[in-house]
Amino acid sequence: MSLSARDITKRFGGLTALSKVSLELRPGEVHGLIGPNGSGKTTLLNLLSGYYRPDGGMIAIDDNDISNATVQKRAGFGVARTFQKPRLLPTLSVLDNAMLGGWRDARAGFLSTAFCLPQVKADELALRSRAEELLHGVGLSHAINRRANLLEHAEQRFLEIARGLAQRPRFILLDEPAGGLTPAEIEHLGAVIRVMCESGVGVLLVEHHTDFVFRISDRVTTLDVGAVIKHGTPDEVKRDPEVIRVYLGA
Amino acid sequence: MKPSHRTLALFVVMTALIALPWWSGDLYKLHLAALICAYWVLIGGLNLVVGYSGQLSIGHVGLLAIGSYCFAVLAGTHGVHPALAIAASGALCALCGLLLGLPSLRLPGFYFAMATLAFALIVTEITLAQGALTGGGVGLSVPGFPPPFDTPRGTYWLILSIAVLVTWLTWNVARHTWGRGLVAVRDSVVTAQAVGVPVFRAKLTVFVFSGFTAGVAGALFAVLQSYITPDTFVFDLGLFFFVCIIIGGRGHILGPALGTIVLTALPEMVAPLAKLGNFFYGLLLLAVVLLVPEGIGRVFELLVERFRPRRGESHVVKPDLDRLAKAIEQGRSAR
Repeated sequence: MSLSARDITKRFGGLTALSKVSLELRPGEVHGLIGPNGSGKTTLLNLLSGYYRPDGGMIAIDDNDISNATVQKRAGFGVARTFQKPRLLPTLSVLDNAMLGGWRDARAGFLSTAFCLPQVKADELALRSRAEELLHGVGLSHAINRRANLLEHAEQRFLEIARGLAQRPRFILLDEPAGGLTPAEIEHLGAVIRVMCESGVGVLLVEHHTDFVFRISDRVTTLDVGAVIKHGTPDEVKRDPEVIRVYLGA
Repeated sequence: MKPSHRTLALFVVMTALIALPWWSGDLYKLHLAALICAYWVLIGGLNLVVGYSGQLSIGHVGLLAIGSYCFAVLAGTHGVHPALAIAASGALCALCGLLLGLPSLRLPGFYFAMATLAFALIVTEITLAQGALTGGGVGLSVPGFPPPFDTPRGTYWLILSIAVLVTWLTWNVARHTWGRGLVAVRDSVVTAQAVGVPVFRAKLTVFVFSGFTAGVAGALFAVLQSYITPDTFVFDLGLFFFVCIIIGGRGHILGPALGTIVLTALPEMVAPLAKLGNFFYGLLLLAVVLLVPEGIGRVFELLVERFRPRRGESHVVKPDLDRLAKAIEQGRSAR
Protein backbone atom coordinates (compact mmCIF):
# COMPACT_ATOMS: atom_id res chain seq x y z
CA MET A 1 0.00 0.00 0.00
CA SER A 2 1.56 3.26 -1.09
CA LEU A 3 0.64 6.53 -2.77
CA SER A 4 3.09 7.40 -5.47
CA ALA A 5 3.88 9.90 -8.18
CA ARG A 6 5.72 8.27 -11.09
CA ASP A 7 7.64 10.41 -13.59
CA ILE A 8 5.12 13.19 -13.20
CA THR A 9 5.28 16.12 -15.60
CA LYS A 10 3.04 19.15 -15.19
CA ARG A 11 2.97 22.22 -17.42
CA PHE A 12 1.12 25.50 -17.02
CA GLY A 13 1.07 27.04 -20.48
CA GLY A 14 4.72 27.33 -21.50
CA LEU A 15 6.03 26.83 -17.97
CA THR A 16 7.07 23.35 -16.90
CA ALA A 17 6.28 23.24 -13.18
CA LEU A 18 7.37 19.63 -12.69
CA SER A 19 9.36 17.38 -14.96
CA LYS A 20 9.63 13.64 -14.40
CA VAL A 21 9.22 13.82 -10.65
CA SER A 22 8.79 10.60 -8.68
CA LEU A 23 7.90 10.23 -5.04
CA GLU A 24 6.55 7.37 -2.98
CA LEU A 25 4.59 7.86 0.23
CA ARG A 26 4.31 4.74 2.40
CA PRO A 27 1.99 4.16 5.33
CA GLY A 28 3.52 4.80 8.72
CA GLU A 29 6.23 7.13 7.54
CA VAL A 30 6.76 10.86 7.44
CA HIS A 31 7.98 11.96 4.05
CA GLY A 32 9.37 15.50 3.94
CA LEU A 33 9.15 17.49 0.72
CA ILE A 34 11.36 20.56 0.66
CA GLY A 35 12.68 23.01 -1.88
CA PRO A 36 12.95 26.72 -2.64
CA ASN A 37 9.88 28.81 -3.44
CA GLY A 38 8.46 27.92 -6.83
CA SER A 39 10.19 24.55 -6.95
CA GLY A 40 6.86 22.77 -7.41
CA LYS A 41 6.10 21.38 -3.93
CA THR A 42 2.49 22.53 -3.75
CA THR A 43 1.96 21.60 -7.41
CA LEU A 44 3.01 18.05 -6.59
CA LEU A 45 0.68 18.00 -3.59
CA ASN A 46 -2.19 19.20 -5.77
CA LEU A 47 -1.42 16.43 -8.26
CA LEU A 48 -1.40 13.80 -5.52
CA SER A 49 -4.69 15.01 -4.05
CA GLY A 50 -6.35 15.37 -7.44
CA TYR A 51 -6.78 19.12 -7.92
CA TYR A 52 -4.50 18.96 -11.00
CA ARG A 53 -4.17 16.37 -13.75
CA PRO A 54 -0.65 15.38 -14.79
CA ASP A 55 0.59 16.03 -18.35
CA GLY A 56 2.83 12.99 -18.17
CA GLY A 57 3.47 10.09 -15.81
CA MET A 58 0.94 8.78 -13.35
CA ILE A 59 -0.35 9.00 -9.81
CA ALA A 60 -0.92 5.56 -8.35
CA ILE A 61 -2.12 3.81 -5.24
CA ASP A 62 -0.09 0.58 -5.24
CA ASP A 63 -0.22 -0.17 -8.95
CA ASN A 64 -3.64 1.30 -9.66
CA ASP A 65 -3.53 4.40 -11.83
CA ILE A 66 -5.62 7.13 -10.19
CA SER A 67 -4.30 10.03 -12.29
CA ASN A 68 -7.79 10.86 -13.53
CA ALA A 69 -9.71 10.20 -10.33
CA THR A 70 -11.47 13.26 -8.90
CA VAL A 71 -10.49 14.79 -5.58
CA GLN A 72 -13.60 13.22 -4.05
CA LYS A 73 -12.69 9.73 -5.34
CA ARG A 74 -9.23 10.07 -3.85
CA ALA A 75 -10.78 11.03 -0.53
CA GLY A 76 -12.56 7.69 -0.84
CA PHE A 77 -9.22 5.94 -1.43
CA GLY A 78 -8.03 7.41 1.86
CA VAL A 79 -6.14 10.52 0.75
CA ALA A 80 -6.71 13.58 2.97
CA ARG A 81 -5.01 16.95 2.91
CA THR A 82 -4.68 20.32 4.60
CA PHE A 83 -4.17 23.68 2.93
CA GLN A 84 -1.38 26.24 3.03
CA LYS A 85 -3.92 28.84 4.09
CA PRO A 86 -6.40 27.06 6.37
CA ARG A 87 -9.74 26.60 4.64
CA LEU A 88 -12.37 26.30 7.33
CA LEU A 89 -16.07 27.06 7.38
CA PRO A 90 -16.05 30.28 9.42
CA THR A 91 -19.73 30.25 10.40
CA LEU A 92 -19.73 26.71 11.77
CA SER A 93 -18.42 25.52 15.11
CA VAL A 94 -15.06 23.84 15.52
CA LEU A 95 -16.88 20.55 16.13
CA ASP A 96 -18.93 20.92 12.93
CA ASN A 97 -15.77 21.68 10.97
CA ALA A 98 -14.15 18.50 12.24
CA MET A 99 -17.32 16.49 11.63
CA LEU A 100 -17.33 17.66 8.01
CA GLY A 101 -14.34 15.35 7.56
CA GLY A 102 -16.68 12.42 8.18
CA TRP A 103 -18.88 13.24 5.17
CA ARG A 104 -18.03 10.02 3.38
CA ASP A 105 -18.93 7.89 6.38
CA ALA A 106 -22.44 9.29 6.70
CA ARG A 107 -24.75 6.67 5.22
CA ALA A 108 -27.99 8.68 5.19
CA GLY A 109 -29.00 10.24 1.88
CA PHE A 110 -30.70 13.58 1.37
CA LEU A 111 -34.25 12.37 1.85
CA SER A 112 -33.47 10.19 4.85
CA THR A 113 -31.79 13.25 6.36
CA ALA A 114 -34.77 15.48 5.60
CA PHE A 115 -37.11 13.03 7.33
CA CYS A 116 -34.60 12.43 10.12
CA LEU A 117 -34.69 8.62 9.83
CA PRO A 118 -32.84 6.61 12.51
CA GLN A 119 -29.77 6.20 10.29
CA VAL A 120 -29.20 9.96 10.51
CA LYS A 121 -28.99 9.90 14.30
CA ALA A 122 -26.64 6.92 14.17
CA ASP A 123 -24.35 8.67 11.67
CA GLU A 124 -24.41 11.82 13.72
CA LEU A 125 -23.49 10.11 16.98
CA ALA A 126 -20.62 8.19 15.42
CA LEU A 127 -19.21 11.23 13.64
CA ARG A 128 -19.57 13.41 16.69
CA SER A 129 -17.72 11.10 19.04
CA ARG A 130 -14.93 10.56 16.50
CA ALA A 131 -14.58 14.31 15.89
CA GLU A 132 -14.60 15.09 19.60
CA GLU A 133 -11.89 12.54 20.34
CA LEU A 134 -9.72 13.93 17.54
CA LEU A 135 -10.25 17.52 18.70
CA HIS A 136 -9.23 16.61 22.26
CA GLY A 137 -6.32 14.72 20.73
CA VAL A 138 -4.90 17.58 18.65
CA GLY A 139 -5.35 19.96 21.57
CA LEU A 140 -8.53 21.89 20.82
CA SER A 141 -10.53 20.80 23.89
CA HIS A 142 -10.93 24.43 24.90
CA ALA A 143 -12.51 25.47 21.59
CA ILE A 144 -14.83 22.63 20.60
CA ASN A 145 -18.01 24.71 20.60
CA ARG A 146 -16.47 27.96 19.40
CA ARG A 147 -17.26 29.35 15.99
CA ALA A 148 -14.33 28.71 13.67
CA ASN A 149 -13.96 32.40 12.77
CA LEU A 150 -12.96 33.10 16.38
CA LEU A 151 -9.94 30.81 16.21
CA GLU A 152 -6.38 32.00 16.15
CA HIS A 153 -4.03 30.92 13.43
CA ALA A 154 -2.46 27.96 15.21
CA GLU A 155 -5.86 26.65 16.27
CA GLN A 156 -7.01 26.81 12.65
CA ARG A 157 -4.02 24.73 11.56
CA PHE A 158 -4.71 22.04 14.15
CA LEU A 159 -8.42 22.05 13.28
CA GLU A 160 -7.55 21.39 9.64
CA ILE A 161 -5.49 18.41 10.76
CA ALA A 162 -8.39 17.15 12.90
CA ARG A 163 -10.74 17.48 9.92
CA GLY A 164 -8.28 15.56 7.75
CA LEU A 165 -7.98 12.82 10.38
CA ALA A 166 -11.77 12.63 10.68
CA GLN A 167 -11.63 11.31 7.10
CA ARG A 168 -9.84 8.26 8.55
CA PRO A 169 -7.12 8.65 5.93
CA ARG A 170 -4.43 6.22 4.86
CA PHE A 171 -2.38 9.18 3.68
CA ILE A 172 -2.48 12.77 4.80
CA LEU A 173 -0.81 15.54 2.83
CA LEU A 174 0.13 18.58 4.92
CA ASP A 175 0.82 21.79 3.02
CA GLU A 176 3.18 23.93 5.15
CA PRO A 177 1.51 23.06 8.46
CA ALA A 178 4.17 24.88 10.51
CA GLY A 179 3.69 28.19 8.69
CA GLY A 180 3.00 30.95 11.19
CA LEU A 181 3.36 28.77 14.28
CA THR A 182 5.47 29.62 17.32
CA PRO A 183 8.36 27.28 18.26
CA ALA A 184 6.24 25.75 21.04
CA GLU A 185 3.37 25.12 18.63
CA ILE A 186 5.78 23.58 16.11
CA GLU A 187 6.86 21.16 18.85
CA HIS A 188 3.21 20.17 19.35
CA LEU A 189 2.75 19.81 15.60
CA GLY A 190 5.79 17.53 15.41
CA ALA A 191 4.39 15.36 18.19
CA VAL A 192 1.01 15.16 16.46
CA ILE A 193 2.66 14.18 13.17
CA ARG A 194 4.73 11.46 14.86
CA VAL A 195 1.54 10.04 16.43
CA MET A 196 -0.17 10.01 13.05
CA CYS A 197 2.61 8.03 11.42
CA GLU A 198 3.02 5.66 14.38
CA SER A 199 -0.68 4.90 14.00
CA GLY A 200 0.01 3.85 10.42
CA VAL A 201 -0.90 6.95 8.46
CA GLY A 202 1.47 8.03 5.69
CA VAL A 203 2.29 11.72 6.13
CA LEU A 204 3.58 13.94 3.33
CA LEU A 205 5.06 17.06 4.86
CA VAL A 206 5.55 20.02 2.54
CA GLU A 207 7.46 22.56 4.58
CA HIS A 208 9.91 25.45 4.63
CA HIS A 209 11.20 24.88 8.16
CA THR A 210 14.02 22.54 7.09
CA ASP A 211 15.21 21.91 10.66
CA PHE A 212 11.74 20.73 11.55
CA VAL A 213 11.50 18.51 8.45
CA PHE A 214 14.88 16.89 9.00
CA ARG A 215 14.04 16.26 12.64
CA ILE A 216 10.77 14.42 12.19
CA SER A 217 10.91 12.92 8.69
CA ASP A 218 11.86 9.35 7.86
CA ARG A 219 12.73 10.28 4.29
CA VAL A 220 13.12 13.59 2.51
CA THR A 221 12.74 14.59 -1.13
CA THR A 222 14.23 17.87 -2.32
CA LEU A 223 12.86 19.67 -5.36
CA ASP A 224 14.43 22.46 -7.36
CA VAL A 225 12.85 24.10 -10.41
CA GLY A 226 10.47 21.23 -10.91
CA ALA A 227 12.94 18.34 -10.61
CA VAL A 228 14.09 16.06 -7.79
CA ILE A 229 17.66 16.90 -6.84
CA LYS A 230 18.02 14.56 -3.89
CA HIS A 231 16.04 11.87 -2.20
CA GLY A 232 16.99 9.93 0.91
CA THR A 233 17.18 9.91 4.69
CA PRO A 234 17.41 13.31 6.42
CA ASP A 235 21.13 12.83 7.03
CA GLU A 236 21.88 11.99 3.41
CA VAL A 237 19.88 14.95 2.15
CA LYS A 238 21.37 17.35 4.69
CA ARG A 239 24.91 16.53 3.51
CA ASP A 240 24.21 16.54 -0.20
CA PRO A 241 26.34 19.27 -1.82
CA GLU A 242 23.68 20.07 -4.44
CA VAL A 243 20.97 20.52 -1.78
CA ILE A 244 23.29 22.76 0.23
CA ARG A 245 24.10 24.81 -2.88
CA VAL A 246 20.53 25.48 -4.08
CA TYR A 247 18.59 25.50 -0.84
CA LEU A 248 20.27 25.24 2.51
CA GLY A 249 23.13 27.60 1.82
CA ALA A 250 26.67 27.14 3.05
CA MET B 1 -30.54 28.73 24.63
CA LYS B 2 -30.98 25.64 26.75
CA PRO B 3 -32.90 22.77 25.10
CA SER B 4 -35.71 23.07 27.67
CA HIS B 5 -36.07 26.79 26.89
CA ARG B 6 -36.08 26.02 23.22
CA THR B 7 -38.85 23.45 23.61
CA LEU B 8 -40.85 25.98 25.60
CA ALA B 9 -40.33 28.72 22.97
CA LEU B 10 -41.30 26.30 20.22
CA PHE B 11 -44.44 25.32 22.10
CA VAL B 12 -45.49 28.94 22.66
CA VAL B 13 -44.89 29.90 19.03
CA MET B 14 -46.73 26.86 17.70
CA THR B 15 -49.71 27.52 19.98
CA ALA B 16 -49.81 31.15 18.89
CA LEU B 17 -49.67 30.14 15.21
CA ILE B 18 -52.40 27.51 15.52
CA ALA B 19 -54.61 29.90 17.53
CA LEU B 20 -53.98 32.75 15.07
CA PRO B 21 -57.54 32.69 13.60
CA TRP B 22 -58.87 33.68 17.04
CA TRP B 23 -56.50 36.50 17.86
CA SER B 24 -55.70 37.92 14.42
CA GLY B 25 -58.93 39.94 14.47
CA ASP B 26 -60.03 40.08 10.84
CA LEU B 27 -60.08 37.79 7.84
CA TYR B 28 -57.63 39.91 5.92
CA LYS B 29 -54.91 39.34 8.49
CA LEU B 30 -55.65 35.63 8.42
CA HIS B 31 -55.30 35.68 4.64
CA LEU B 32 -52.01 37.52 5.04
CA ALA B 33 -50.76 34.89 7.51
CA ALA B 34 -51.71 32.13 5.06
CA LEU B 35 -49.88 33.99 2.29
CA ILE B 36 -46.75 34.27 4.45
CA CYS B 37 -46.91 30.51 5.09
CA ALA B 38 -47.29 29.81 1.36
CA TYR B 39 -44.31 32.06 0.59
CA TRP B 40 -42.33 30.30 3.30
CA VAL B 41 -42.96 26.90 1.72
CA LEU B 42 -41.03 28.21 -1.30
CA ILE B 43 -38.50 30.30 0.61
CA GLY B 44 -37.79 27.48 3.05
CA GLY B 45 -36.73 25.23 0.18
CA LEU B 46 -34.93 28.05 -1.62
CA ASN B 47 -33.07 28.76 1.62
CA LEU B 48 -31.16 25.48 1.23
CA VAL B 49 -30.09 26.62 -2.25
CA VAL B 50 -29.28 30.28 -1.50
CA GLY B 51 -28.56 30.33 2.23
CA TYR B 52 -26.76 27.01 2.58
CA SER B 53 -25.22 25.98 -0.73
CA GLY B 54 -24.74 29.62 -1.79
CA GLN B 55 -26.28 29.34 -5.26
CA LEU B 56 -27.92 32.66 -6.10
CA SER B 57 -31.21 31.72 -7.69
CA ILE B 58 -33.39 34.75 -8.38
CA GLY B 59 -35.75 32.92 -10.72
CA HIS B 60 -37.83 30.78 -8.38
CA VAL B 61 -40.86 32.88 -9.27
CA GLY B 62 -40.80 30.90 -12.54
CA LEU B 63 -41.17 27.65 -10.62
CA LEU B 64 -43.87 29.22 -8.47
CA ALA B 65 -45.79 30.13 -11.65
CA ILE B 66 -45.46 26.62 -13.06
CA GLY B 67 -46.76 25.19 -9.78
CA SER B 68 -49.68 27.59 -9.73
CA TYR B 69 -50.71 26.90 -13.32
CA CYS B 70 -50.27 23.17 -12.89
CA PHE B 71 -52.62 23.24 -9.91
CA ALA B 72 -55.14 25.52 -11.63
CA VAL B 73 -55.21 23.39 -14.78
CA LEU B 74 -55.39 20.04 -12.99
CA ALA B 75 -57.76 20.94 -10.14
CA GLY B 76 -59.75 23.55 -12.07
CA THR B 77 -59.95 22.55 -15.72
CA HIS B 78 -59.66 18.79 -15.27
CA GLY B 79 -61.25 18.38 -11.84
CA VAL B 80 -58.39 16.38 -10.33
CA HIS B 81 -58.52 16.07 -6.53
CA PRO B 82 -56.67 19.09 -5.05
CA ALA B 83 -54.41 16.94 -2.84
CA LEU B 84 -53.25 15.06 -5.92
CA ALA B 85 -52.92 18.33 -7.84
CA ILE B 86 -50.66 19.79 -5.12
CA ALA B 87 -48.40 16.73 -5.26
CA ALA B 88 -48.36 16.91 -9.06
CA SER B 89 -47.40 20.60 -8.94
CA GLY B 90 -44.51 19.73 -6.64
CA ALA B 91 -43.39 16.85 -8.84
CA LEU B 92 -43.58 18.88 -12.05
CA CYS B 93 -41.54 21.70 -10.51
CA ALA B 94 -39.00 19.26 -9.13
CA LEU B 95 -38.59 18.00 -12.71
CA CYS B 96 -38.29 21.58 -13.99
CA GLY B 97 -35.71 22.23 -11.28
CA LEU B 98 -33.76 19.21 -12.47
CA LEU B 99 -33.88 20.33 -16.11
CA LEU B 100 -32.91 23.90 -15.18
CA GLY B 101 -30.24 22.84 -12.69
CA LEU B 102 -28.50 20.25 -14.88
CA PRO B 103 -26.95 22.77 -17.28
CA SER B 104 -26.91 25.88 -15.10
CA LEU B 105 -25.56 24.70 -11.73
CA ARG B 106 -22.13 24.18 -13.28
CA LEU B 107 -21.95 27.89 -14.05
CA PRO B 108 -20.11 30.23 -11.68
CA GLY B 109 -22.34 32.29 -9.33
CA PHE B 110 -23.19 35.33 -11.41
CA TYR B 111 -23.98 33.34 -14.56
CA PHE B 112 -26.13 30.91 -12.61
CA ALA B 113 -28.18 33.85 -11.33
CA MET B 114 -28.60 35.06 -14.92
CA ALA B 115 -29.72 31.60 -16.04
CA THR B 116 -32.43 31.52 -13.38
CA LEU B 117 -33.46 35.06 -14.32
CA ALA B 118 -33.81 33.99 -17.95
CA PHE B 119 -35.83 30.97 -16.87
CA ALA B 120 -38.32 33.16 -14.96
CA LEU B 121 -38.74 35.47 -17.95
CA ILE B 122 -39.29 32.55 -20.31
CA VAL B 123 -41.95 31.03 -18.06
CA THR B 124 -43.90 34.30 -18.08
CA GLU B 125 -43.79 34.41 -21.88
CA ILE B 126 -44.89 30.78 -22.17
CA THR B 127 -47.88 31.34 -19.87
CA LEU B 128 -48.88 34.23 -22.13
CA ALA B 129 -48.35 32.32 -25.36
CA GLN B 130 -50.01 29.03 -24.39
CA GLY B 131 -53.46 30.60 -24.09
CA ALA B 132 -55.37 27.36 -24.67
CA LEU B 133 -53.84 25.87 -21.53
CA THR B 134 -53.27 28.87 -19.28
CA GLY B 135 -55.91 31.34 -20.40
CA GLY B 136 -53.21 33.64 -21.71
CA GLY B 137 -53.43 37.22 -20.51
CA VAL B 138 -56.98 36.64 -19.22
CA GLY B 139 -55.81 34.04 -16.75
CA LEU B 140 -57.44 31.16 -14.93
CA SER B 141 -59.65 30.93 -11.92
CA VAL B 142 -58.44 28.56 -9.23
CA PRO B 143 -60.71 26.26 -7.21
CA GLY B 144 -60.41 26.23 -3.43
CA PHE B 145 -59.57 23.27 -1.21
CA PRO B 146 -62.26 20.68 -0.46
CA PRO B 147 -63.87 20.57 3.02
CA PRO B 148 -62.78 20.80 5.77
CA PHE B 149 -60.18 23.15 4.31
CA ASP B 150 -62.61 25.32 2.36
CA THR B 151 -63.05 27.97 5.07
CA PRO B 152 -60.45 30.72 5.60
CA ARG B 153 -59.45 29.01 8.85
CA GLY B 154 -59.22 25.58 7.25
CA THR B 155 -57.13 26.95 4.40
CA TYR B 156 -54.82 28.70 6.86
CA TRP B 157 -54.33 25.57 8.95
CA LEU B 158 -53.61 23.43 5.94
CA ILE B 159 -51.02 25.85 4.58
CA LEU B 160 -49.54 26.37 8.04
CA SER B 161 -49.06 22.64 8.52
CA ILE B 162 -47.30 22.33 5.16
CA ALA B 163 -45.09 25.30 6.09
CA VAL B 164 -44.21 23.68 9.41
CA LEU B 165 -43.42 20.43 7.61
CA VAL B 166 -41.07 22.24 5.20
CA THR B 167 -39.40 24.01 8.12
CA TRP B 168 -38.81 20.67 9.82
CA LEU B 169 -37.43 19.06 6.66
CA THR B 170 -34.99 21.88 5.95
CA TRP B 171 -33.96 22.08 9.59
CA ASN B 172 -33.13 18.37 9.53
CA VAL B 173 -31.02 18.82 6.43
CA ALA B 174 -29.28 21.90 7.82
CA ARG B 175 -28.16 20.49 11.16
CA HIS B 176 -26.75 17.19 9.95
CA THR B 177 -23.96 16.06 7.64
CA TRP B 178 -25.79 17.33 4.58
CA GLY B 179 -25.98 20.84 6.01
CA ARG B 180 -22.24 20.90 6.68
CA GLY B 181 -21.56 19.68 3.16
CA LEU B 182 -23.76 22.42 1.68
CA VAL B 183 -22.06 25.12 3.74
CA ALA B 184 -18.73 23.76 2.53
CA VAL B 185 -19.95 24.10 -1.06
CA ARG B 186 -20.86 27.71 -0.27
CA ASP B 187 -17.79 28.79 1.71
CA SER B 188 -14.97 26.70 0.26
CA VAL B 189 -15.41 24.42 -2.73
CA VAL B 190 -11.87 23.04 -2.39
CA THR B 191 -12.64 21.95 1.18
CA ALA B 192 -15.88 20.34 0.06
CA GLN B 193 -13.95 18.38 -2.59
CA ALA B 194 -11.19 17.44 -0.17
CA VAL B 195 -13.59 15.75 2.24
CA GLY B 196 -15.45 14.06 -0.62
CA VAL B 197 -18.61 16.15 -1.09
CA PRO B 198 -19.85 15.62 -4.67
CA VAL B 199 -20.24 19.36 -5.26
CA PHE B 200 -22.43 19.34 -8.35
CA ARG B 201 -24.69 16.55 -7.16
CA ALA B 202 -25.19 18.22 -3.79
CA LYS B 203 -26.16 21.50 -5.48
CA LEU B 204 -28.49 19.69 -7.86
CA THR B 205 -30.16 17.71 -5.06
CA VAL B 206 -31.12 20.78 -3.03
CA PHE B 207 -32.12 22.62 -6.19
CA VAL B 208 -34.54 19.84 -7.14
CA PHE B 209 -35.85 19.83 -3.57
CA SER B 210 -36.38 23.60 -3.76
CA GLY B 211 -38.20 23.01 -7.05
CA PHE B 212 -40.56 20.62 -5.31
CA THR B 213 -41.35 23.05 -2.48
CA ALA B 214 -41.73 25.89 -5.01
CA GLY B 215 -44.30 23.79 -6.90
CA VAL B 216 -46.25 23.04 -3.74
CA ALA B 217 -46.03 26.71 -2.76
CA GLY B 218 -47.32 27.62 -6.21
CA ALA B 219 -50.43 25.49 -5.71
CA LEU B 220 -51.10 27.01 -2.27
CA PHE B 221 -50.40 30.50 -3.57
CA ALA B 222 -52.82 29.99 -6.47
CA VAL B 223 -55.61 28.97 -4.09
CA LEU B 224 -55.01 32.07 -1.98
CA GLN B 225 -55.06 34.27 -5.08
CA SER B 226 -58.18 32.44 -6.39
CA TYR B 227 -57.42 33.89 -9.83
CA ILE B 228 -54.05 33.86 -11.57
CA THR B 229 -52.73 35.69 -14.61
CA PRO B 230 -49.16 36.04 -15.89
CA ASP B 231 -49.05 39.40 -14.07
CA THR B 232 -49.43 37.60 -10.74
CA PHE B 233 -45.91 36.28 -11.20
CA VAL B 234 -43.95 39.48 -11.77
CA PHE B 235 -40.20 39.20 -11.59
CA ASP B 236 -40.19 41.39 -8.44
CA LEU B 237 -41.64 38.43 -6.60
CA GLY B 238 -38.55 36.33 -7.44
CA LEU B 239 -36.31 39.08 -6.10
CA PHE B 240 -38.52 39.30 -3.02
CA PHE B 241 -37.93 35.61 -2.19
CA PHE B 242 -34.21 36.10 -2.61
CA VAL B 243 -34.15 39.26 -0.49
CA CYS B 244 -36.07 37.55 2.34
CA ILE B 245 -33.21 35.07 2.65
CA ILE B 246 -30.45 37.68 2.45
CA ILE B 247 -32.14 39.89 5.05
CA GLY B 248 -32.83 36.88 7.25
CA GLY B 249 -29.25 35.68 7.03
CA ARG B 250 -27.48 32.96 5.09
CA GLY B 251 -27.02 29.61 6.77
CA HIS B 252 -29.96 30.09 9.12
CA ILE B 253 -33.52 28.74 9.16
CA LEU B 254 -35.24 31.10 11.55
CA GLY B 255 -33.70 34.24 10.08
CA PRO B 256 -35.19 33.86 6.59
CA ALA B 257 -38.53 32.85 8.16
CA LEU B 258 -38.41 36.09 10.12
CA GLY B 259 -37.40 37.92 6.95
CA THR B 260 -40.41 36.52 5.11
CA ILE B 261 -42.78 37.59 7.89
CA VAL B 262 -41.30 41.06 8.21
CA LEU B 263 -41.12 41.78 4.49
CA THR B 264 -44.65 40.52 3.80
CA ALA B 265 -46.45 41.82 6.86
CA LEU B 266 -44.81 45.17 7.60
CA PRO B 267 -45.90 46.99 4.42
CA GLU B 268 -49.44 45.67 4.93
CA MET B 269 -49.73 46.42 8.62
CA VAL B 270 -48.10 49.82 8.71
CA ALA B 271 -49.94 52.01 6.22
CA PRO B 272 -47.21 54.62 5.71
CA LEU B 273 -44.78 51.86 4.72
CA ALA B 274 -47.17 50.57 2.04
CA LYS B 275 -46.92 53.91 0.29
CA LEU B 276 -43.18 53.56 0.15
CA GLY B 277 -43.51 50.22 -1.63
CA ASN B 278 -40.22 49.03 -3.10
CA PHE B 279 -38.46 51.93 -1.41
CA PHE B 280 -39.10 50.21 1.91
CA TYR B 281 -37.60 46.93 0.68
CA GLY B 282 -34.61 48.77 -0.70
CA LEU B 283 -34.03 50.67 2.50
CA LEU B 284 -34.33 47.57 4.66
CA LEU B 285 -32.01 45.61 2.39
CA LEU B 286 -29.45 48.41 2.46
CA ALA B 287 -29.65 48.71 6.24
CA VAL B 288 -29.20 44.96 6.74
CA VAL B 289 -26.38 44.57 4.24
CA LEU B 290 -24.47 47.52 5.71
CA LEU B 291 -25.20 47.03 9.42
CA VAL B 292 -25.73 43.28 9.94
CA PRO B 293 -24.52 41.48 6.81
CA GLU B 294 -25.05 38.22 8.69
CA GLY B 295 -28.81 38.87 8.64
CA ILE B 296 -31.44 39.74 11.21
CA GLY B 297 -31.54 36.13 12.37
CA ARG B 298 -28.06 36.57 13.85
CA VAL B 299 -28.48 40.02 15.43
CA PHE B 300 -29.07 38.59 18.88
CA GLU B 301 -26.25 36.07 18.56
CA LEU B 302 -23.82 38.78 17.40
CA LEU B 303 -24.74 41.10 20.24
CA VAL B 304 -24.09 38.34 22.75
CA GLU B 305 -20.78 37.55 21.09
CA ARG B 306 -19.81 41.21 21.14
CA PHE B 307 -20.51 41.94 24.77
CA ARG B 308 -19.35 38.68 26.29
CA PRO B 309 -16.02 39.14 28.03
CA ARG B 310 -13.23 37.65 25.96
CA ARG B 311 -10.49 37.90 28.52
CA GLY B 312 -9.28 34.66 29.91
CA GLU B 313 -10.43 32.73 26.86
CA SER B 314 -7.69 30.30 26.09
CA HIS B 315 -6.19 29.89 22.64
CA VAL B 316 -3.42 27.52 23.67
CA VAL B 317 -3.22 24.29 21.71
CA LYS B 318 -2.24 21.39 23.96
CA PRO B 319 -2.37 18.01 22.24
CA ASP B 320 -3.33 14.91 24.17
CA LEU B 321 -1.22 12.40 22.26
CA ASP B 322 -2.55 9.18 23.80
CA ARG B 323 -6.10 10.20 23.05
CA LEU B 324 -5.09 11.18 19.52
CA ALA B 325 -3.41 7.83 18.88
CA LYS B 326 -6.46 5.99 20.16
CA ALA B 327 -8.84 8.06 18.02
CA ILE B 328 -6.79 7.52 14.86
CA GLU B 329 -6.41 3.79 15.44
CA GLN B 330 -10.11 3.42 16.13
CA GLY B 331 -10.91 5.12 12.83
CA ARG B 332 -8.45 2.98 10.91
CA SER B 333 -9.62 -0.30 12.38
CA ALA B 334 -13.16 0.49 11.26
CA ARG B 335 -11.97 0.86 7.68
